[in-house]
Amino acid sequence: MVDADASPPQAGEPISEQEALRRLRQSEDSSQQYYGAWWLGRMRSQHPEAVPLLQQALRQRRPRDSGDGVEENAVARNAARALGKLAPAAQTAIPDLLDTLQDADDGLREAAARALGQLAASEAIEALCEKLASGPAGAGAQQANSPRLVEPCEALLEALGDIGVNEPRVLAVVKPFLEHERPLIRSAAARTLLQLSGEARWGELLVDLLDHPQLQVRRAALMDLGAAGWRPGFQAIAATLAENSLKLMALRGLVEQGNGDPGDEALLACMDALL
Amino acid sequence: MSQVSPVAEKITALQQADSAQDLLRATQELAASADASAAPVLVEVLGFNNPGAAVAAVEGLISLGTAAVDALLQLDPENYGARAWAVRALAGIGDVRGLELLLDALGSDVAASVRRAAAKGLGQMQLAELPPDQQQVVQRQCLGALLAATSDGEWVVRYAVAVGLELLAAGLPPHLPEWQQARAGLVTLLAAAADNAPVVQRRAHLALLRLEQQ
Repeated sequence: MVDADASPPQAGEPISEQEALRRLRQSEDSSQQYYGAWWLGRMRSQHPEAVPLLQQALRQRRPRDSGDGVEENAVARNAARALGKLAPAAQTAIPDLLDTLQDADDGLREAAARALGQLAASEAIEALCEKLASGPAGAGAQQANSPRLVEPCEALLEALGDIGVNEPRVLAVVKPFLEHERPLIRSAAARTLLQLSGEARWGELLVDLLDHPQLQVRRAALMDLGAAGWRPGFQAIAATLAENSLKLMALRGLVEQGNGDPGDEALLACMDALL
Repeated sequence: MSQVSPVAEKITALQQADSAQDLLRATQELAASADASAAPVLVEVLGFNNPGAAVAAVEGLISLGTAAVDALLQLDPENYGARAWAVRALAGIGDVRGLELLLDALGSDVAASVRRAAAKGLGQMQLAELPPDQQQVVQRQCLGALLAATSDGEWVVRYAVAVGLELLAAGLPPHLPEWQQARAGLVTLLAAAADNAPVVQRRAHLALLRLEQQ
């Protein structure tokens, strides 16, 4: 699925890598750190200081204080996201991200899970499975005073798919989420199973979700089919009632992540028609 | 006693639509009428902030072809959302009266979705009715804009530039310098740079293969 606020906090002047590092290094102004962390991820910085500074920013997190107007963990969240984009250099940050997976802030757990998925961190499988083990009624239950779930299930499920280790224990943890009441969670579970097993039934389940009455669900299913690169879904993707931009992103996923039939030429013709 | 034409009825139905669903259905019906008098109303739909209806209206306008161009060019330039859809319609129609708008859109529009539509459109301008010297002038303008956009920051725009360059070159004899320049643009897009998406490279590769067989 799409990362909720992966955009810059404000449209600023273009800055240099040195400036981004400087902003992240200072500690007086957290909005500057926030921007610096975002920049390093967005630009896929290869600077040797980038990963250590992002690790440091990730450790800066603090317990949530609901009375506090400023969102202190925003910098840590952006640092986690940036680390996810800096594979393979960010492998050294995997232990920090594993710690963060246990943080009390669920937004931060979500960002850490996504980053671990992007880094294909097989070390994280056990912790991810543990978080999900209580199933839709536990990890997948809605929090008392918030629409959020007890655990960031979508991110946790997708991380398991991105890591891509097809083991019975992983499948057993993911499958119950196919019955979750929220279609976005069902979509994430189907995507993960498709990535892990390649079985057509999970792809077909995602294709069914392309017809869902809610646009948000259709968008998620598009992104999930793209992430799994499931080529047999290409015509259903093209026919979905959603923005062409998203269909093009999904089809790009089929071209780049998938293989087999249909071949590149048919997929590219399908993309050409959506421009 | 004048009889109300079927198109007029469909226009009325569209103007009276009071839900997003009704508007979508009415737009689809009007778009299917293939009647030039529908053009101004379909252009109006582009500004309604209803993406489903706008897609149907764009399809209808493209099928009307040159008959829709006047209505499209009269669009309020301040209405950004409608303008973006109009670029897509003009790109699909390929009428040379839309050239300035497409050049402008590819070079400077903030939305990647608009730039990508313009890029494809610049590759498929319908020039057969122009005198040969003017054809060449237009082709050079299109080519220049497409070559400049090979360095666009968005993969989807570069992808559309590959499509536009292939379409443009396919309409030219290979001995012309313009054909060579279009080919060189595709070679640029073929480069496996770190920030170039594999899908763009594959599309450029396919375009080059097809041009070799021309």
